[in-house]
Amino acid sequence: MKATFITLLLALSLPLGLVAAGATHDAVVAHGEEAAPAEGNKLTMITDKFGVTVPTLVAQMVNFCLVAFVLYKFAVKPIAATLDERQQKIADGLQYAEEMKTQLAEAERERAEKIKQAAIDAQKILTESREQSKEMIEQKTQEAAAQAEAIIRKASEATELERQKMLSDVRQEVARLVVATSSKVLSRDLSDSEKQTFSDSAAKELASAGN
Amino acid sequence: MKRDQKITRLAKKLVELSKDNGVVTEAKVGEVLAGLKQVQHRHHLTVLKTFLNYLRREIALQTAVVSTPAALSDEALKAIEATYSKMYGRPVTAVTKQDTSLIAGVRVRVGDDVYDASVAGRLQRLAENVK
Repeated sequence: MKATFITLLLALSLPLGLVAAGATHDAVVAHGEEAAPAEGNKLTMITDKFGVTVPTLVAQMVNFCLVAFVLYKFAVKPIAATLDERQQKIADGLQYAEEMKTQLAEAERERAEKIKQAAIDAQKILTESREQSKEMIEQKTQEAAAQAEAIIRKASEATELERQKMLSDVRQEVARLVVATSSKVLSRDLSDSEKQTFSDSAAKELASAGN
Repeated sequence: MKRDQKITRLAKKLVELSKDNGVVTEAKVGEVLAGLKQVQHRHHLTVLKTFLNYLRREIALQTAVVSTPAALSDEALKAIEATYSKMYGRPVTAVTKQDTSLIAGVRVRVGDDVYDASVAGRLQRLAENVK
């Protein structure tokens, strides 16, 4: 950048030099027309012809250097600094943009990765939840079946007990009725001789059992 | 308490004195009562009551009460007497008692033991066995 501006200054200073040289040439021409016949040196003639004199040339060079220095000091240098700063800012901005782009891509990648991982986790959780719910349903079903079976078994046992009790009651009642009826029938139908015969045999039975 | 024990022992001894060949007889009991009358025990009435209780128990142990709705033959009664005399190791006398609730058969009670061979008893046991 600095070299560019120096080149630019030189390019600008060239027309100025030419203008100065033109002015000098006019002065030299005016002066040359008067002094040409006196000097035969070719170089002198040329310089005279182009109006180049050492003081003027030196003064112009000094002027040029001063102008170049001033321009460089107060114009080129700040401008170059500003341009450098702007270029640095632009470069920083571009770098920042690049970094941001990279970070954005990274963030995008991380986001996609996280979304993917989240989807995997969600799928895993969903699968586990389904399995757990399935197991729970099976367990609850088995428990319900066991409870139902236990209730049915208890009810069956209670029914069986009730039935047995009813049968026992019926048997006892029937037996009581049979005994009562038999007693009445035997009391009525057995004759005295039959009773005596039975009593004798019963007495002998007791006697033989005692022996 | 000590007095009761003494009276009990006296009553048991009087019961033993009332036996003739292991059997309580009326004559022996009369002799014992006569002796008591002569002695005039201080607790005469209590001694008599206790003696009566033990005497009843002894008589019950020596008596087979044969309950039956119909009259039994002498042969059956003798068989019962012989059987229970042998079983208890003392003379047992059979006494018949009419009980029409037995329907038919006999029921023998010796002391606290009951031997049942009656129709009513068998029916009752049959009813108890039906469950």
